[in-house]
Amino acid sequence: MPSFIHKPRRKVVLLAAGALGLVVLGALSASVVLLSGAYSTAATTQHFKITHRLLDAGLRFSVRSHASGVKVPDLAREGMLERGAACYRMHCVQCHGAPGVARHPAGRGMLPIASSLAQSAREWPPEWLYYVTRKGVHMSGMPAWEFRIADEDLWSTVAFLTRLPFMTHQDYLDLHAESADFSCRAPTEMRHDALHGDVKVVFRQYACHACHRIEGIVGPKSRVGPPLVDWPRRKYVAGVLPNTEENLIRFIRDPQGVSPHSLMPKLDVGEVHARQMARYLLASE
Amino acid sequence: MRALSSVVAFAFVACAHEGGYEPVVSGGDAKRGRQAIAELECGACHQIPGVPGAWGRVGPPLAEYRHNVYIAGKHPNVPDVLVRFVRDAPSLAPDTAMPAIEMSDTQARDVAAYLYSLE
Repeated sequence: MPSFIHKPRRKVVLLAAGALGLVVLGALSASVVLLSGAYSTAATTQHFKITHRLLDAGLRFSVRSHASGVKVPDLAREGMLERGAACYRMHCVQCHGAPGVARHPAGRGMLPIASSLAQSAREWPPEWLYYVTRKGVHMSGMPAWEFRIADEDLWSTVAFLTRLPFMTHQDYLDLHAESADFSCRAPTEMRHDALHGDVKVVFRQYACHACHRIEGIVGPKSRVGPPLVDWPRRKYVAGVLPNTEENLIRFIRDPQGVSPHSLMPKLDVGEVHARQMARYLLASE
Repeated sequence: MRALSSVVAFAFVACAHEGGYEPVVSGGDAKRGRQAIAELECGACHQIPGVPGAWGRVGPPLAEYRHNVYIAGKHPNVPDVLVRFVRDAPSLAPDTAMPAIEMSDTQARDVAAYLYSLE
């Protein structure tokens, strides 16, 4: 009798040990592949088909779920199509191409490759297009355009996209000419709701972490600019101004104006964001 | 690996086109279209699922045709254009190898309807 009771439990223990063993083995072989350099990071090395399918499916499921609350405005308002065409010309055609128009060379050799939007727009509803354009896509090279394109023109872009699958090359050229006087509007100030009150998003969207290591922000181990860690202890901003909130804001907004040969470029940081950054840095320990 | 890939592919296809553009041919009947395609011998040049003997390799395969973005790489893949194209391809794509094919307007609509019904 007792052995009858114990047997299933032993089975469970064995199974658990087996599963754990497999996990350890998997982690070990992954480490070997990684550390040996066998894994190729070249953009010429194609993904496995299954990797592609998984990423595609993951993108769709995620977008469908996250875009479910999006309300689509009237996309047929006057001038919308032309503005959308202007946005497309300014920000999209470089990587995505257009009917009969090639992508910029940079948009041709990417892995993963940016999708042809005539197909995306044929298959995806406007709210998905809006969501992806606004929020960008992880690890794909697609940025979050909400920080570069005003919300109304994100919708103009969507209005344009919904027409794209039905355009011939000539249609595209005609619209291109008709929209020559239109421009794509940038947001006057970064969308507040996009930031979730999180100043770290502000740093990231101005690409600060491309050159600086910043307290509390995950990113590359950049050593282009000085690390912005333990900032309250610094005496100077850029080695020229006393480290105060106002000076920090001045420098962030106009580095070369404060320090003429500075290699830090002007990144068009607005007053509000510069202040948020300065306060964050000065509060970091 | 292949089985897993199929499962993922299935999930992908299952949710691929929800809410997307769906071409519909007014006055076209897919069932009659299948018959017309067989009679007109479109399969001599095209692979067309569901049509016996349609294994041609001269033109492109026509599976999942409604998901194609363009017709002959020149025109948006929409019902009106496809109806015209199946009947008189050279009028829309002057250099095309596809000949004009004698058929009635109804037949053209049926053929287009069948092509759009292909999953």
